[in-house]
Parts: sequence; structure tokens; C-alpha cells
Amino acid sequence: MSWRIGVDIGGTFIDFCALDESTRELHTLKVLTTPAEPGREVMDGIALLQQRYGMDPAEVTAFVHGTTVGINTVIQRKGADLALLTTAGFEDVIELARLRMPDMHGLFCARPDPLIPRDRIFGIPGRVMSDGSVQTPVNAAAVRNAADAARARGAVGVIVAFINAYRNPAQEAEAAAILREAAPDLFVFTSAEIWPVIREYERTTTAILNGYVHPRVGNYLTSLENALRQQGVAARPMVTKSNGGVMSTELGKTNCVNMLLSGTASGVIGAAFLARQANTPNALTLDIGGTSADVALVMDGQPQFGSGEKVGEFPLFIPSVSVTSIGDGGGSIATVDNFGVLKVGPESAGSTPGPACYGRGGNRATITDAMAVCGFLGHTPLAYSSVTMDRAKAEAVVGALANAMGLGLQETAEAIIRVTISNMFVEVNKLIGRYGVDPADFALMPFGGAGPMLGCLLARELGMARVMIPRRPGVVSALGGLIAEVKNDFVATVLLPIDAESGVALAIAAAGLRQRAESWLREEQQFDGTATLSVLADMSYLGQSFEIGVRLEEAWLAQGDMAAIATAFHDQHAAIYDFADRSAAVQLVNLRLVIAGATEPPDFPRLPRVEGAAKPLRDVEVWHDGALRQVPLYLREDMRHGHTLSGPAIVAQEDTTVCIPAGFAGDVDALGNIHLRWREQAA
Amino acid sequence: MSSIDKVTLQIMGNHLRAAAENMAYTLYRTAYSTFVKETEDFTTQITDASGVCVAVPMDLGATWYPGITYGRAMAMIKDYEPGDICFTNDPYSGFVATHVPDVHMWKPVFHGDDIVGFACGHIHNTDMGGAVPASLSRALTEVHQEGVRFPPMKLYRAGKINDELVDVMMLNVRKPDQNRGDLRAFVGALNTGERKLRDMVAKFGAPQVTQGMAMLLDYAEHQARDVLRSIPDGEYFFSDYADEDSVNGNPCRVALTLTIKGDAAILDFTGSDPQLTSALNVPTGGDPHHTLLLVGVYYVLCTLNPQITLNAGLTRPFTCIVPEGTVLNPHSPAAVGMRSLTCARLRSLIFGVFGLAVPERMPAAPAGSSSIINVMTTDNRTHRTVLAAVNPIVGGAGGMPHRDGTNGSGADGAYLKNTPVEITEAEVPIQILRYGLMPDSGGAGLHRGGLATALDFRVSAPHTRITARNRDRSRFRPWGILGGKAGGPSDMVLNPGTAREKPLGNTDTFTCEPGDVIHIHSPGGGGRGNPLDRDPARVLLDVARGYVSVAAAAESYGVVIQDGAVDTAATAAKRASLRVAGDAPHFAFGPERDAHDALWTAEIYHDLTVLLAGLPVHWRFFVKGKLFELMPRTGEPRATLAELFAKVQAEYSDVPAPRRLESV
Repeated sequence: MSWRIGVDIGGTFIDFCALDESTRELHTLKVLTTPAEPGREVMDGIALLQQRYGMDPAEVTAFVHGTTVGINTVIQRKGADLALLTTAGFEDVIELARLRMPDMHGLFCARPDPLIPRDRIFGIPGRVMSDGSVQTPVNAAAVRNAADAARARGAVGVIVAFINAYRNPAQEAEAAAILREAAPDLFVFTSAEIWPVIREYERTTTAILNGYVHPRVGNYLTSLENALRQQGVAARPMVTKSNGGVMSTELGKTNCVNMLLSGTASGVIGAAFLARQANTPNALTLDIGGTSADVALVMDGQPQFGSGEKVGEFPLFIPSVSVTSIGDGGGSIATVDNFGVLKVGPESAGSTPGPACYGRGGNRATITDAMAVCGFLGHTPLAYSSVTMDRAKAEAVVGALANAMGLGLQETAEAIIRVTISNMFVEVNKLIGRYGVDPADFALMPFGGAGPMLGCLLARELGMARVMIPRRPGVVSALGGLIAEVKNDFVATVLLPIDAESGVALAIAAAGLRQRAESWLREEQQFDGTATLSVLADMSYLGQSFEIGVRLEEAWLAQGDMAAIATAFHDQHAAIYDFADRSAAVQLVNLRLVIAGATEPPDFPRLPRVEGAAKPLRDVEVWHDGALRQVPLYLREDMRHGHTLSGPAIVAQEDTTVCIPAGFAGDVDALGNIHLRWREQAA
Repeated sequence: MSSIDKVTLQIMGNHLRAAAENMAYTLYRTAYSTFVKETEDFTTQITDASGVCVAVPMDLGATWYPGITYGRAMAMIKDYEPGDICFTNDPYSGFVATHVPDVHMWKPVFHGDDIVGFACGHIHNTDMGGAVPASLSRALTEVHQEGVRFPPMKLYRAGKINDELVDVMMLNVRKPDQNRGDLRAFVGALNTGERKLRDMVAKFGAPQVTQGMAMLLDYAEHQARDVLRSIPDGEYFFSDYADEDSVNGNPCRVALTLTIKGDAAILDFTGSDPQLTSALNVPTGGDPHHTLLLVGVYYVLCTLNPQITLNAGLTRPFTCIVPEGTVLNPHSPAAVGMRSLTCARLRSLIFGVFGLAVPERMPAAPAGSSSIINVMTTDNRTHRTVLAAVNPIVGGAGGMPHRDGTNGSGADGAYLKNTPVEITEAEVPIQILRYGLMPDSGGAGLHRGGLATALDFRVSAPHTRITARNRDRSRFRPWGILGGKAGGPSDMVLNPGTAREKPLGNTDTFTCEPGDVIHIHSPGGGGRGNPLDRDPARVLLDVARGYVSVAAAAESYGVVIQDGAVDTAATAAKRASLRVAGDAPHFAFGPERDAHDALWTAEIYHDLTVLLAGLPVHWRFFVKGKLFELMPRTGEPRATLAELFAKVQAEYSDVPAPRRLESV
């Protein structure tokens, strides 16, 4: 007997996935969050798993947790008071950032206030040059003075980030050592130990995010460890990471920055796993909750990775699963301007007060209210019976807009939905432009509490012929944690030309990365299974100011096969830009290595096939595409492998409601996923 | 044709914007040059069948062209067929391209035999040939020196590229690989726009798309008129100055009378200087809605209504009057390469005049000068020649009604990006000694102006050539308003604080020796409101943060700081001694402009405008220069303009008699 447990905290709920490995059965659970006592809901959930499914904590072999403690700390700006030591002359590095501002069309645009105010930033004389040589030693007295001043101004921790530390971290380490001796009460992180990559703002801000959330995340993880121990959970707890992998909670206390985007990342990891299982290698995942709507691309069964993803108002420059925000979710508010034009967002009712129809004080029309007015919602208990639907409240708030627009009540509700979908269409188009893909080549996979409600409508707008609704859309993120690999990224900025003379240096750099990676996996993570290593390089033509990612083979580096490396770059360049100058000089900027310890993926049981159409519970009245219609309502738990259904239809389940417009039809696969096709294009 | 409702209008607006955004992301992903990647000096648009812009992206690219109309350039090509892609970069053919490095392109989108719209845009090429690398220099005097020009013509005819045309372009430019790469990327973006527009036609129907475009223009117009209605009717006059009208030249004046009546506005630029014998001219062709004249207006509209729809409908309530032969409507072949410097003054001119109309809702002047620094030097180890952009030196925003100006950048400079110090040091053999904010550079105010940025770097090879484009505001400062003080001026100095110190001011190109240190800082933003009303605690915080010195806290803000704390009694006394009775004038310009205004009064400028407008265009800049030479200095006996002109006529007998113009 053994159990694997995945736990994911969202804005309103905490989701549990518990895999009973003896029966291969997956049990799911949602518990309301307890913001006053973070962590208590985990204990509640474990107790419920014991009660309901007879899980024995001693038999838990894996416990993987995704937490929002870190990202919430940044969004709410409740992190640690930090000091920053920079190279003298560069004290404004975080205020200037990269200069360009969001929303640059008005005269009042501004950058977010930095996480460290300028009076706790201290310039330290000392200079490393771009080749790594030391021009001026660190001024130790200045470091000690800064420690005193930092403490006097309320700092509890210090970030050290010097110019060119990516090339030679010795001065940062030296300053950190002086700080630890002079001020042992202050914690210290250096930029090179967090993510030693070229570009001072990016490296500094990433190190600051790490320090900013460190005390809260550390405390949270410590109390989680204690609580799990008390409950008798045997497994060493793991936490999910922004790169889609997992690491031990022990490491999470100091490598906090790696957890910041783990929530959205595990959703994509879970979705990618489900897509692979269902033979749907190319998917556009759509995760909509009450307060957020995110999309991501899964290509050949794999998520995409990038850096520069946003944490609250700040960019994070470690490799993360690429996720694009396309709105604020089911709570986005609809308004009518004085020209009579209907707008949805950017204001959101969030989870409090939430949509009017939830009866928790919301008094403005949201997307969820519009869905309720059209008759899509409220036929069965919502969100594991934790929410009750008050349709009259929805009709009142949507009715106010209907008066302003001179339209009928349901016409207005449908208009809100149409405008919402077209807003999402704009954002998804940016993603499409960024990757240069055709949405028609992808299946849309909606999940989260509100994803399946809007997914088919968005697919229709985007001209996507296929939609896949996973069996349990509400717990895809928790599942993502359960199946994630123990994984970490390593980087060395080498800035070497690709020529014969660089071979030895590259081989040394690669070997160094490999050694660090092996030590991380085997020693720090105590992982003894099979591991995979992938080598990537950020490369460019000499003199080009931006790099492209190129996949390399380890053997090329070990053997100094420069021709193979150059060819890989030229090929990739040609793939992106349609041309390559194979005689031009090429340089390798960053060498990157990803190590992953494989986790045995769960093999869910296949359901026996039945024939025929699914049996609806009853017909319900729904306003859809401009008319009131009788639409069949199905219960997801009644749907069997092989069942067919066609839109318009509604499928209700504990964690979400699936809305299927006219024109879509499909069936249920052996794993319980619903696959829908757009008839007009499928024919 | 069935009328489309306003819900469908919003949805169509989203789809059109999605098309423009998709074009921009496609271009950004596939473009090759640093200019596109780092500076984002490009735009994309969807236009209607007549070439009027109906949608632009919000995230990527420059902010200048939501009001662009391609009609005149498009009309210079007779027949369009599917697969055509047209382009031009000639500033005097259709007035779409406004300097030679900007290549504008457009592709018709057909439905049957009809054009439903165009996918359009521009890209700034690093170099288009001509007299100097990068094609731009203030010192150039004719557009012919500014690179190879193409009037509107077909790059692709029915899907087939004209290779000969491309060969001509590549032969004439210094970095053909970059031009070729960007051109290829741009064609991809246009094809994307065409595909997206065709998808829309399939989804909504061609008549509906056409009608939707018309309604979207109406919608933006309606929003702009709403903003205008919220501004009191009246006539508002303002003038602003570029420091120099040519290398080491006289001030260049731009002037504007804004008349607001109900929901319409007239922008009369009469009083702006004659066209220049330098590259600072702005080619508009006198188009009453030219987008370059209205860039400042887009900023004002977005400031007063952040939800405004960006398209050419915004330009309809505005009518510009731009007299011929002036800096804002030059005759060919006046050079125009550095029109970006003058455009910055045009924007501050518009911000200033709207500030007079709605002082409670507008900020003080932003720094308004972004110098682009380039270095050409030799790597002492590899002996390789390196040419690289170092950083744009951008200044802060003006004090706002609700907060301080943004430090280091903001307002109409907020779209610029910097280059990381570490990238520069890795690629260029220079050492950066400092890159940060400049203390005491923000105009003092209840809401302080945003600080300037400063950059110091050391070069290590002989014959290192530095260029700094857009140098301005070294003399005339960004103005403060409502009692706020002017921001600090820009400056550039060679080897500051040493025996070899040399002021460079607005110099835009010079040569350095090994070991030379170059210091440059931008202007700072103007302040807003009386600095004596600023909370002493905020002033103390500014001092703790190094934004304001202890001395400036006392002299500019009247806040006396002793041992890191506000001395309340001394502060009260100091503030009482500094306070001046009565209302402050709307603008605070700083001493340099005040001195200039004392000599060059409004009356003299009026006479000058009348006089020069009566002269043939080729005489105007010459006569203006002579009049400036002859103007008595401060303290000398004053002279009327007629007396000064009589002296010019006496010295130069070929000067023609001016046509008599009573008013202009």
C-alpha cells in the first residue's frame, strides 16, 4: 500500500489529489482555504483523506505541495525589509530597471515602487571587469558601514548584487562573508548564488525577490514540515517549482524564488501530462479561476519555458513554465460607457466580494453573473457545494446594464460573454504571434473552476477545431505536482566565440554545470532514480544584442565539436528567421543545464467502453446564440467511455460546469476526458 | 447592409486590435536588428480601404502613429492586386515616412475585387546610406544627404518580389544584412495582418467589417470630442524652444495657438521658426491632421481618458494650421533626419498649451530630451572596430497632479529601453563608471519633477568616436508649472573635475583619447505646485534617498535638515523668508529662457514671424540668423525688429523686400 499526494492552494480553495497506488485510483478533494492559519487546511485535507478513503499517513510515499505564500507576499507587498549592496555608481539599478514602462501611452505612467527603497541601498567601492578580472578590491569598511546603516534602517536581510558578478562572483562572496561576520542577525543572499546570469537588473531583481519572500516562505514550510510530522506523514515533503519540477521543502526555504510561479506552472505540467495521455500532443491550455485567466502552449507534449515572467509587478528571470495572463477570470466586471459601448474588465470583483450571484456582497455584473443569467450555471451544487447560486441577484445586476444598453436581459448577458471572449481573443493572439503558431493546429484544454465554462466559446472564436475537457478540471494543478519531476536549472554565462580555442573552456563550463547538477540531485535532493540532463545554450551572431535558445548535445561540449554547435545555432536561426549566415562568427552567451530525476507517472485505469449517447439528467432552459433553447444537462459522473454528446449541452460536475455551444460534438475517452470537435471544420 | 450593434463594434474593435498586435509580435519575434529588438522603433497598423488607421497594438512598438493616414502615399500607386506589398521611405512623397531610415510598408487586403483594408507599419532601419553612418546628423542640409530614397512603389507585385529594387537598396546601405533581415520580418508581419483581416471578413462579412471600421473611427472621435468638451473654451498660446536650430545655432522656436470651441480644436502653429538649414525640420506637407503634429495630443487624450481608443478618429476634432516654409512644414529638399529632436519640442509645446487650458489635470514638462549614445572604438586586445549603442539617456516625467514625476524616464519617453551595463561592457571596450539618477535634477515642487539619469564612462582606445543624437535642453530647461520650478538642464562634459575638463553641451559628435571619461546627464522633469508646500517629511525622505541634497532641501524647499531630521523651527523661518506674495506665473522656465524672453519678446517674435513669412523660403533661415547676430545683448539699448532688418538689408543688398503681410 502506498499513496502519493498532490496539494495545490488557490485563491479560494485548496485542492487535493491522492493517488492510491494499489488501485491506481485518483481521489480528489477541495477544502476552503484558511487565510488566517496558512497550512491548517492541509491538515484538514489529510484528515478528510483518512476518513473518506482510508489513507494511512504512514503509507504516503510522496507529498508534493504547491503554495501561493511566496507570490502573495509579493503581490501584497508584505515581504521582508531588505537592504541592497550594489557596486558604487549603480545604486539606482532597481529603480531604473530597463526603463520602459507598461501603459506608455499616457503622461502618468510609472514603474512600480521598488521592493527596496533607495535609502536602504548602499554603493560599495570595488569592481570586477567584464572579463572577470578584479580592478578594485571590495571596500570592507564600506560593507561594515552598510551593515550598520541597514540594520539601523530596519533591514532584516541583505542582498548583494555587484556588476559583472555573473563572470566572477568572488567579490559578492567576500562582501557576504563580511556581512555574516559583522551582522550575523541579517540573512544574506548574493545575486550569483541565486541565478548567475548576465544583465544586472534582471539578476539583482531575481535575488531580491528571493530575499523578499524568504522569511515568510521559510516559516510556512517549517510549520508545514512539523504538521506533517505530527500527522505521521512519512514522506519527505516536496514543493513545486516555477520550472514545473519539484524540490525538497528544506531547499525551498532558501531557494524561495524558484517557487514563486509554481501554481500556474503545475497547472500546465498537469495539463501537459493529461494531453500526452490522451494522445493530444499539441494543446493550448486555458486555466480560469475566480481571479485569473491564463493560457499556455503545450507542443509535442511539452510545456514551453521562458524567463521574465511576472510575479505581481516584477519580472522574474529564472526559467519558468511560460504562461500568459489573458484576463482576470470569472470575477471581471462589465460596464457600459457613455457611448453605449460594453466593456468587460479590467476591474474585477475577485473572490471577495465575488460575483453578485454568489450572494457574498457583490453588486456589479461579472462574467459569472452573465453565465448564470443565460442559464448555464446553478442547476447542480457548485464547487463541491461550497457556493450557492442566487440567480435573482445576477439578473438584477445584469438588468441594470441591459437598461443602459436598451437590450433585453439575456441579450445583455450574452453580450457580456461575447465581449469577454473577444478580450481573451486579443491576448491569445499576442501569444500566437510570439510563438508563430496556428491555433488550428492545437486542441484547447480548459481547466480550473471557470475554464470549461468559457473554453468552447474561446475555441470557436480562435478557429480551433478541437477541445479536450479533462475528467477533473478543478484539480489539474494538484495533479501537476503529483507527477512533476525533481528538477533544477543551472546556468553559466560564458560569452565565448564558437571557435576551436573555446573548446576547452566550454567543456570545463559544461563539466562544472554537470557536477553542480549531479550534486544537487543526488546529495541535496537525495534522489537515486534515473536522471535526464538537457543542455541548452543562449547563442547569437557576434555583435547581435539578443540571443536565441539552442538545444545542444552534451557530447559536442565534451568533445569540443564546435562545428556541431555552430550548425545547431545556424539551423535554429534559420528556423526562426528563414535565413542563416553560416560564415558569420557565432558566440555562446549562456550555457544552461537542466537536470530532472524521473518520477513514475501514474497509470490511470482505462474504463470499459460502452456504446451510445450519454443520458442527460434533464433538459434546462438556456439563452444561447440569441435564442432561448431547451438544452440537455448531463452529470459528468454519469458519463462513460464511448458516450457521445453534442452541443448545445451542459455538463455539470462537482468542480466546474462545462458549457458546450451548438456546433461542437464529441465523445468520452477511456480516461474520462471529453473530446469535442467543431463540426463545420471537422467535416 | 445590416447595421452592426455596439456589442459587435466592441468585438470587432478587439479583433482589429488583435490583428495589429499579432503583426507587432510577429515582427518583434522575427526582426533582426537591435533597433527593432531593443528600441522597439517600429509600428504596425490596420487601416481601412482609404488608408486611415483603425487599430494599433498597445504593448509593442513606438507610440507615434495611431493617427496615421496612408491615403496620399497609397494614391501614388495606381493599381493594386492581391499579393502586392508597397513601400516608401521618402519624406516628401505622400508624407508617410518622416525621415529616410523609416521604411513604411502597406499591403492591400482583398475580398473579391474590393480592398477591405490594409496591413501597414514602419520600421526604423539602422542605416539607409547617405553622408553619415546611421544616416542621421543634425549637420546635414539636404534630404539627398540622408540616404537612398524610394517614392511609393511595389516591393512585391502579385506576390512576386522585385529583386532589382532590393539590390539597389542593399547596395546603398551600410548594414545590408540588418536591412534585409528586418525587411523579411516586416513582410511576414504584413502577411499576418492580411490573414487576420481575411479571417475577420470570413467571420463577420466584408460590409460589416467596413462598417465596423467606420464606426470605430467614429467611436474614437466621439471619445476625443468628449475630452475636448471637458476643457474650457478659449484661446491658449504657448511657445517652446529647442536650444539650437543648427550646429552651435540660435534657438529654434515652435509656437502654438490652441483654440478650443465646444468639441473641436484648432492648432495654429504660426509663429514657429522658418525651415532650417539643418536636419531638424519636420516634414508634414501641411496636412491638417498629420500624425507627427498630433503625437502630443494622443498623450494628452490618453492622460485625460486612459480608456481612449487609439485610431485616426482621434485626429478628426483637431485641425492643424502649419504655414509653408517653416520648420513644421518645410519645402523639399530640406533635411529632416533629426526631426525627432524637434518632435520632442512639439510634444512639450502641446503639453504646455493644454496645461494652460486644464492646469488641474496636466503635469509639468517631462525631461523631453532622450540622447542616444553611440560609441565607435577599437578593442585593444582584438584590434577589432566596435560600433555600438550604449544607452538612451532619458529624464524623468514632470510633477503630476497626484504624485511626483517618475524618476529616470516616463511620460513621452516611457517607451525607451536601456541596455544593461554588463551587456555593454561585454561587447564594447569601455568601462561604465556610473549609471543612475542625478541628484537635484528634478524640478522642485509640491510634486517634484522626476530625476535625470547620468552616465559616466571611460574609453581606452585612441580615435574613439562618440555620437550623441537628440542633444537638447542643455539651455532651455523643462518647465515647471503652478509654482513648481524648472527641471535641471542636460549637460555633457569630457573629463569632469580634471585639468582636461571640457564642456560639450549639445555637441553631438566628437573624438576622444584613451583614458577620457565622458559624463552626460539628461534634463530632469519640471516640478508642479509650490515646493514650499511640500510636506517636510517627504523632503526629508528625498534627502535620505539621495534625490535631493541637504542644501537644495533648504534653498528650494525651505526645509532645514540637521543630523538627518527636520529642524521644524528653522524650516518655518526659512519657508517664511522664501515665500513670495501673490500667485506664481503658470510656467517657471528657469533663468536661461527668462533671459531669452526678455530680449525676444512676444512682440518681436510676432514681427519676426510676419517678416520671415514675407520672404522667399530660401532667405528665411539666413535672415533669421543675421537678426539674431544683430540683436542687442542684455543691457545694451533695445532695437525694433524693423531697425534690425534695416541693418541686414544694408549689409546684404540682395535681400529681397519682404511681401507686406499685416497678419499671419
